[in-house]
Amino acid sequence: MLQFIKPGLETSVQDYPGRIGFWSLGIPPSGPMDALSFQLTNLAAGNAPGAPGLEVQFIGPEIRFQADTVIAVGGADMKPKVNGQPIPMWEGVPVSAGDLLGFGFAAQGCRSYVALAGGIDIPRVMGSCSTFVKANIGGIDGGAAKAGTVLKTAPSVRPLAECTGRRIVESTRPVLAASWEVEVLLGPHDDWLTEGDIAQFTSHEWKVSSLSDRTGYRIEGPDFEFGHKAHHKLPENGSDPSNIIDYGYSVGSVNFCGQTPIILMVDGPSLGGFVNPFTVVSTSLWKLGQAKPGDRVRFNVVTEEEARSLRGAFKSAVSEQSVIK
Amino acid sequence: MIFEEPRYLYSGDRYLLLEFGDEMNLDLNFKALGLAETVANEPIPGVVETVPSFATLLVHYEPEETDFATLKAALAERVASLGSTADITLPSRLVELPCCYDDPWTKAAVDDYRKKIKLIEPNPEATARLNGLRDVRELIKVHSTPQYWVAAVGFWPGLPFMMSLDPRYVLTVPKYNPPRTWTPQGTVGMGGSCTAIYPVNTPGGYQIFGRTPVPIWDGAQKFAPFAKSPVLLKPGDRVKFVPIDAREFIEIEQEVAAGTYTYNVVDYELFAVARYTAFFSQAKKDVGYSVSPAGETSTTTVE
Repeated sequence: MLQFIKPGLETSVQDYPGRIGFWSLGIPPSGPMDALSFQLTNLAAGNAPGAPGLEVQFIGPEIRFQADTVIAVGGADMKPKVNGQPIPMWEGVPVSAGDLLGFGFAAQGCRSYVALAGGIDIPRVMGSCSTFVKANIGGIDGGAAKAGTVLKTAPSVRPLAECTGRRIVESTRPVLAASWEVEVLLGPHDDWLTEGDIAQFTSHEWKVSSLSDRTGYRIEGPDFEFGHKAHHKLPENGSDPSNIIDYGYSVGSVNFCGQTPIILMVDGPSLGGFVNPFTVVSTSLWKLGQAKPGDRVRFNVVTEEEARSLRGAFKSAVSEQSVIK
Repeated sequence: MIFEEPRYLYSGDRYLLLEFGDEMNLDLNFKALGLAETVANEPIPGVVETVPSFATLLVHYEPEETDFATLKAALAERVASLGSTADITLPSRLVELPCCYDDPWTKAAVDDYRKKIKLIEPNPEATARLNGLRDVRELIKVHSTPQYWVAAVGFWPGLPFMMSLDPRYVLTVPKYNPPRTWTPQGTVGMGGSCTAIYPVNTPGGYQIFGRTPVPIWDGAQKFAPFAKSPVLLKPGDRVKFVPIDAREFIEIEQEVAAGTYTYNVVDYELFAVARYTAFFSQAKKDVGYSVSPAGETSTTTVE
């Protein structure tokens, strides 16, 4: 059991891979914005990588534990403290009933994850504990934690003594910085851009806009020309060059809303009427989940084969091999 | 145009986007829904789910279980076995929704926009004028006459994008620019030739001219049609709007709040594209028609 003394900016329960199978009804997967840190944090706490945990965004909460347990904190280093004493990141740390977990501010990255041995015990909604705060789906009564919110933890699969001191090896901890290189695949609508547009997208250093959240990341940079197809189409596509007849979006789509690219994140829309010339590789999306307003982003086009090896590396990182004790 | 062969596009490393054509045309949507239906009934290895839309089907897959080329080949086989659009039959429910047209609530939302953002023409009047209708009364008649086909659901959880099934009753309107910042829950509106219902209060860009008191999103899943998900309308369902006045709106709203409202849903019947097409090629000539275009009828009513 734990209780929120202060809720933080928007602290929510998430699990991985989230709410899958409802995309055709417009219900997004949700889940952690940084799925790499989230899963590694769970491993440190002795949990299955996808177990329900807390996503802490920008401003951390204050949490009072009401029972002895083991916690792990990963993701952005928001200087976690227990009773005012710094605790290590990426490591199973024992806490006692009455202990107070607090946070400072992160120099790099913007989302921390808190895993508790056993995971958070909360009802599943459509198969998942994840929260889509904007539509009040899942998590803590559909929303973020509030002051006073009490959460239960499920029984740990391992004895607490075994969870204590589990650490993620240095080499697999994500490196958070203020500039990011994000891998994308071309498509589905790369043929709506000119070659110059594509070259510009991949050579420019984009700036993350402050209008970015769990639904989408806006990036700021130069304008695009758009190709022949975008300027010569039937009226039902819409009048702007970036408009197309509404169709299903992918999580990670680079959605061109007029001249503003918006990368669709885990709470994003399932369909709409703007072209997606690029799509972020699924195992690279975590980087944007840590990017904060003002950070710089470069995009590298990769092949399907390269995406496969990126997924392979991600998968082997998220495994017991990454844990030492 | 309708492509001779669909286009198969990469949409990241976990999604394939299949394009049947690049125009707004019910036939393309029937194909997308027909393909979604066969994939749901006989799963293709590695496919997680599909998202049908007007002219496309998005296929979400697990790349450790299949790859783009294998999936493309499997889908191409399914597309071939779909045959022509006329051969497609789709399970479809008919949902009756009371709708208060030219209502005070959407009027308030438009007035607020006119005051704060842009002085646009009141939406019911604009929709009537742009479609050559005499007045708002005629708009209500024209909009509430056809059945609407739910071509896609999304953008926001439970939001249906619907097309008139009757080619004699098709309205077309421009979208707002810039969008509204709020829209009352249950608002009925149009953008292009598409009718939508706002499941909850959200920003929006459609012309708005009516409101239903009946929830199409039930987060608590307390009403019977929401047993499986909080979403009422699924792709392939049909909607018929029944005009009500503001007094009836409030009565129904109270029934909804009390949990006593009974949804009027005609359960799954088979919608045969061939029959639909035949019906409307006849109906175009026959002004006095009043029959349902659906195929087999069933009278099961779901609460």
